[in-house]
Amino acid sequence: MPALFLAPAIAVLLALSIYPLIYSITISLQQGTAAGVIWGLGNFTRLLSDNFFLTALAHTFVYAVSALTCEFLLGLGLALLLNKQIRGRGLFRASLLIPMMLPAVVVGVIWRLMLNPNFGAINETLKQLGINTASLTWTASPKLAMLSVIAVDVWQWTPFVFLVLLAGLQAIPQEPYEAALIDGSSRWQTFWHVTLPLLKPSILIVLLLRTMDLLRVFDQIFILTEGGPGFATETISLYIYRTAFRFFDFGYAAAMSFVLLALTNVISAIYIKFLQAKETI
Amino acid sequence: MSRKIAQGSRYALLTVALLFSLAPAYWMLTISLKTEVDQFASPPAWFAFTPTLEHYYDAFVTRGFGEYLFTSVIVAVASTVCALVIGTLAAYALARFELPWRLNRRLSLWILSTRMFPAIVTAVPLFLMMRDVQLLNTRASLIIVYTGFNLPFVVWMMRGFFADLPRELEEAALVDGDSRLGALVRVVLPLVSPGLAATAVFCLIVSWNEFLFALVLTQTDAAMTLPVGIAGRVTQYEIKWGVMSAAATVAIIPILVFALSVQKYLVRGLSMGAVKG
Repeated sequence: MPALFLAPAIAVLLALSIYPLIYSITISLQQGTAAGVIWGLGNFTRLLSDNFFLTALAHTFVYAVSALTCEFLLGLGLALLLNKQIRGRGLFRASLLIPMMLPAVVVGVIWRLMLNPNFGAINETLKQLGINTASLTWTASPKLAMLSVIAVDVWQWTPFVFLVLLAGLQAIPQEPYEAALIDGSSRWQTFWHVTLPLLKPSILIVLLLRTMDLLRVFDQIFILTEGGPGFATETISLYIYRTAFRFFDFGYAAAMSFVLLALTNVISAIYIKFLQAKETI
Repeated sequence: MSRKIAQGSRYALLTVALLFSLAPAYWMLTISLKTEVDQFASPPAWFAFTPTLEHYYDAFVTRGFGEYLFTSVIVAVASTVCALVIGTLAAYALARFELPWRLNRRLSLWILSTRMFPAIVTAVPLFLMMRDVQLLNTRASLIIVYTGFNLPFVVWMMRGFFADLPRELEEAALVDGDSRLGALVRVVLPLVSPGLAATAVFCLIVSWNEFLFALVLTQTDAAMTLPVGIAGRVTQYEIKWGVMSAAATVAIIPILVFALSVQKYLVRGLSMGAVKG
């Protein structure tokens, strides 16, 4: 009986996750050459000397670390601000969440409009403040493009960090705070020794989920810059996409995707170690 | 006095955050309603302009966005229904049956792990598989892929909702001679219907927003979803800002309605049930 309930789900997942993975392994081991298909680790050894791949890898790390830091600090700040009984809290919370719900493509369109050097709201506003915007071409500028795509990610995903941390804050019982008050702890001490430790499980979960998404980022960057100008914002997912669907080198793309998979697995395993140490899962 | 200042600065900071999070989307909305002259006005017109619906007409009647919209709806609804039926059955089995070899936990974790792959890892082989079975550029390919994509999520969410429910309820129904499936449909599902609805809404949002698979699997007007249609226009040389903004605004509307309806379950849904908010 349980087998009948489980069979459809297992069949679908075998066909749509496990089979593709095996398929991908087999093509990653094949290299098409003029003399025919060669089997071996050629695609993987090629990775090590591919400067484009290494640059994309570096971009991915820069992107993930910068966005994660900003999103965490801003999200925590907002959660602390709203973790009080204040009027209009429901409205603030609902409105702050809107960016996170939007389709990535729409976020791309919104920020193409905002950052457009000719009529975008950002530059027009800066002009009114008397700032020369001639060099501020944002996504079209090799120097500012990475900053722009990171800022867009922070805009869209800070609400998610905020939401999870706010839920975590509200689950903290009152007693430790009362004890801290009796001990005469300052607000900063209370935050550091009471709030943060009790919030740690929520922090780890939200960092884990964000890190996974940041390492695989594709959609917004594809819409905003397509990895450009030049190669300035090319991340691993974009480079894999280009390799597979522009250059049709599926074997090499598959090999790179396994590096990305290994990377995300290792990092999530580290987070989960920390989480299990706290016995929250 | 200092309390008042603290309260005041709290509101001030929150209002700034609110402006930052809402103004960009509002700016796009205004562009979709402005004539081309107003779009390029300097300084920008945030409020004072004469609204027009010409870009909406242009996008959805003259250009192909109506068809993309239709595809998006079909694909989101069909894949959500498939994932819900298959996933709920599996979730029920995992929550209620004692499986041998600690399979309850092992299967749940395996199902979760399939969702953890970066999309691009499966996009490459799925493209080749769909090419092999000649399903490229069909809505069916997207329905199949999104069903698989949403399935782990449904299993984890519904497993949590089933586990929250006392067993005695369906045991009574089983004693009355109901089959397991009968007990599930007649007794259990009505009780978890808010959770089921929230899960459905999350699946709809994910399918509606999904971009990478849709981009890879569909390149023709007949099978393209709204996000791919919009993206195709963005990256062309001469960009019709009004048309794009109109299409993007329409793409947002169902999401906002849905998101507000599941606010209560947002944390649980977005963390795959890891945090019970």
